This record gives sequence, C-alpha cells and structure tokens, in this order.
Amino acid sequence: MISGHWFWWLLTIAVMVWYSTITVYVAVRGTRDIRQMLHRLKNRSKADGPS
Amino acid sequence: MTNFSWLDGSIVGLYLLATMIAGVVMRKYVAKVEHFLVAGREMNVYLGIASLAATEFGIVTCMYTAQNGYEKGFAGAIPGICQALAMFVIGLTGFCIKPLRDSGAMTIPEMFEKRFGRRIRWAAGVVIVLGGLLNMGVFLRTGGEFLVLVCGFDVKYLEIAMTTLLVGVAVYTILGGMLSVLVTDFLQFVVMSVGLIVVTALILANVGWDKLVTAVQTHHGAGGFNPFVNPQMGWPYVLFNLFLNTAACLTWQAVIARVLAAKDSQTARRVYTGTAFFFVCRFIVPGLWGMAALATLGPATAGENSLHAMPRFLSTFVPVGVMGILVAAMLAADMSTDSSYLLTWGSVIYNDVLAPFRRNWSERKGLVVNRAIIALIGVFLLLYGLWYPLKGDLWTYLGVTGTIYLSSMTTLLIACCYWRRANNWGAAAAIICGAGVPIGYLVFEQVPATRPLAEKIGPYYSGLATYVLVGAAMVFGSLLKPVDTQPPLERRVG
Repeated sequence: MISGHWFWWLLTIAVMVWYSTITVYVAVRGTRDIRQMLHRLKNRSKADGPS
Repeated sequence: MTNFSWLDGSIVGLYLLATMIAGVVMRKYVAKVEHFLVAGREMNVYLGIASLAATEFGIVTCMYTAQNGYEKGFAGAIPGICQALAMFVIGLTGFCIKPLRDSGAMTIPEMFEKRFGRRIRWAAGVVIVLGGLLNMGVFLRTGGEFLVLVCGFDVKYLEIAMTTLLVGVAVYTILGGMLSVLVTDFLQFVVMSVGLIVVTALILANVGWDKLVTAVQTHHGAGGFNPFVNPQMGWPYVLFNLFLNTAACLTWQAVIARVLAAKDSQTARRVYTGTAFFFVCRFIVPGLWGMAALATLGPATAGENSLHAMPRFLSTFVPVGVMGILVAAMLAADMSTDSSYLLTWGSVIYNDVLAPFRRNWSERKGLVVNRAIIALIGVFLLLYGLWYPLKGDLWTYLGVTGTIYLSSMTTLLIACCYWRRANNWGAAAAIICGAGVPIGYLVFEQVPATRPLAEKIGPYYSGLATYVLVGAAMVFGSLLKPVDTQPPLERRVG
C-alpha cells in the first residue's frame, strides 16, 4: 500500500512530523514574541505620554 | 449517542475562560488606532505564524477539507498544496507583500489610493467588505452544525450556543483589537494544533493507513490519488486552485493583516515562508478525517450530506477526554477565525469606506468608531449568518463571493506594485469585470435557456476566465488613458 502511493504516504508523514514540531517550537518562541511585543508597546506608551 | 462527557465539558470550559481572560487583558495596551488595527506593527515571526495559521483554520475550513477527503480522496488536498506553494514563493521573493508592507498602509485599499486615487480606494474597500462579510456570513451556522453533531446536542441549542460564542469573541476583539486577536490566536493555535494532531494520530493508529487507502481506491479509483485523472477535477481544477490560492495569499484581508502588522517586510516574508507548509496540513489533516469517515461509516450512518460524514464519524470514534480536546480545538479554530475576520473587515470599513468622512478624528474617537463597527459586524453576522438560513449551494456561494473580491484586488495589487502604466481607468475596469464575470456565470446557471452553456463551461473554466479577463481589463483600461508618468510604488518606497 505504501509503495503504491508513496507520495501521499510521505506527505502524510511529513505533515505529522512538521506539524508536531512546529507546534512546540512556535509555542515556545511565540511566548517570547508576545512578551517582547507587550514590553515594546508599554515603553512606547511611556515615551508618548498619556493620550 | 456521543462520547462527549462532563470531563470534556470541563476541558472546554477551562479553555474558554483562559481565552477570554487573555483577550480582555490586552485592552490596557490599546491607546491608538494603530495599536487596535495593526498591533502597533510590533508582531514578530513566531507570533505571526501562530496567528496566521489559527486565523486560516476555522470549523468551516475543517468541514470542507474533510468533505474534500470524503468525496475526492487524497486528491482533495490539491488546493492546500497549491496554497502552500504560492505562499512559500511569495514569502521567498517578497512579491507584492514587500512593497505593500513598506508602503506603511494599514489596509490594501489605502495603498491603492497612492496610485489609483481616492475613488478606487473607496470602491476597493466596498468590494473587499462585501465579498468578505458575505463569505464570512456562513461560518457561524456551519461551525454550529459541527459542534451539534460531534457533541450530540439538541439542534435547537445551535443558535444559542453560537450566539454566545460570537458575543464572547466580539467582546475581546472590541476591547483589544489586533492585540487581543494576536494573543488569543496564539493560545488558540496551540490548543487547535494539539487537538488536530492527537485525533489524526488516533485515526492513523486505529483505522490504519491501509484501510484509508483501500477506501479511497474502492470509492474513487485512481482519481482519488491523482487529480489529473479524476473526472471531477483535471487540470482546470488544479490551475484554478493555483490562481485562487495565489490570489488569497496576496490579497485576502485576514492574511494580509499579518503582513501589515509585522515589524517590517522581512518579518512578513518570514511569516509567509514559515506558515506555508501549514496549508498542506490544513487540507491533509481534516482530509484524513474525511477519508476515515469514508472507510468506517456505511452510507446509512454517513447520511446524505457528505459534509456531515466527518463529524458523525468523530462523534463515536473519539474517546472521552480526547473529545474535550477535540471540541476545545475546534472552538479555538472557530474563535480565532471569527475574531480576526471581525477585526479585518472592520479595519477596511474604518480605514477605507469611511475615509471620505473622517476629518481630523482624535485617536479616542477613532477607537470608539472602530469598536462600534466591530459590534455592528457582529450583529450583522448574527442576523445574516445564524438566524437566516442560507438557501442554495454553499460551495458555489463561497466560491463566488471569494472570486468577486480576489480576482480584481489581486490584479490591482500586482499592477499597483509593478506596472508603470497602471491607472485608475484600468483599476475601475478590473473591479467591474471581477464582479461581473462570476455573477454573470451564476445568472447563466439559473436561467434555463443558458444553463446548458454554463454547465458546459463549468465553474473552473469560469473562474480561470475571470482572472484572465480581469487582467485584460486592467491592461486595456489603463492603456486607453493618456500616459501616467508615476513610477511603480516599489521604486517610490525604495
């Protein structure tokens, strides 16, 4: 079954491996992105003064 | 009878609480319209990937991609492969998205004004909002149908459940704008991905690869694996999907909102290349769920509507505990899409449709108007999408509303960035043609005298013709006007 449809089998495996990996990686790096984004916005608001 | 229990309900409740808190807390960071619409342009790569992926996967996506798997087998994943290729190439080259982000615009029509004038900006805004809102109008009901089928709830609760969900999403979007959308998208991406991966792993382990392949082979033959030999697909289907998905990557406002919120054009390009393969997952994962429904359910259990085969299968296949994760994942998928779409169409209404009426509005007034627009869109969605049942074929409806917008906006964007002779005559011709051809095809389909001709042409040739004709309208319309000496926008922004 695998040899007959190797393209779809490989693509399915690639999807599972890539998606699992990217979920963990993005979860870690995305948390850092959120912290930095909020920190920069806070600093900009302080620099701009009350609006 | 389904496997949804009190444990699953608790998991879902916990997820909803965490999302609402995270969304509402973002309000304190919103001081300006720029914070509200494009998160102060502070979005970095990984937050962008999470947000883009979460936004572009809603329950409606899951339903249709699963239906593709059920009806077309593995070949049903072709649109996802096309979109992944398009997004990767656009991210790699910066085609259109680099000049768009470098222009400093908050929406696509705002960029058009610099080249085509105020009227085209306004007309483009109207087309984008009409196409987008009509497209989004069907999301709520389809999402509700999935949840009712999977959880085994009484269908009379569908409206109440989806209304409550929309109100919750609208509350945090109104308060925190793009900042709430990005942060909740991030949470929703994680929850959604865990659910999708766990359920797919269960299917591969318990149903098995061989059974899936055998089911596709039995029901669809070679056409279930190769789109070019599938009688329902063929090269027009593949080519049309390549055009449609390239256009979606370039101008679908919910996607482009991430380009415009990115720190710079380099970040926007990295978000595109980093998210590209997700679009293969977006079709393969629910496609496998649809194929599992095909392999395990008999025609009596699956029901007449192939759209409902996948949720019916999941309602009995997914065990207690995992069912809570699945429902939380699907709610996450739907909420992230709804919040992004509410904000994105609202931003075009504020920034472009209301542009002629804005005269020195303060930041405070701008924020109030933006929030009011989102609330009104929410009311429209409830009235149009949930309480008013759509008549006719849903897929045709989505295709037409999408093509009306995507064909003309993509042509305008490419011409705006790279063609020196493009001008407002060409832009106006392209917008009219982009709306006229798909609507004309629909009319041909409905009128008995012209129906055979419409059937002979088919939706894919009609879709391809729209893109070609819109391109031709832009060229001929622009050439008819005396020479415009303005250089392409990319040169001007350097």
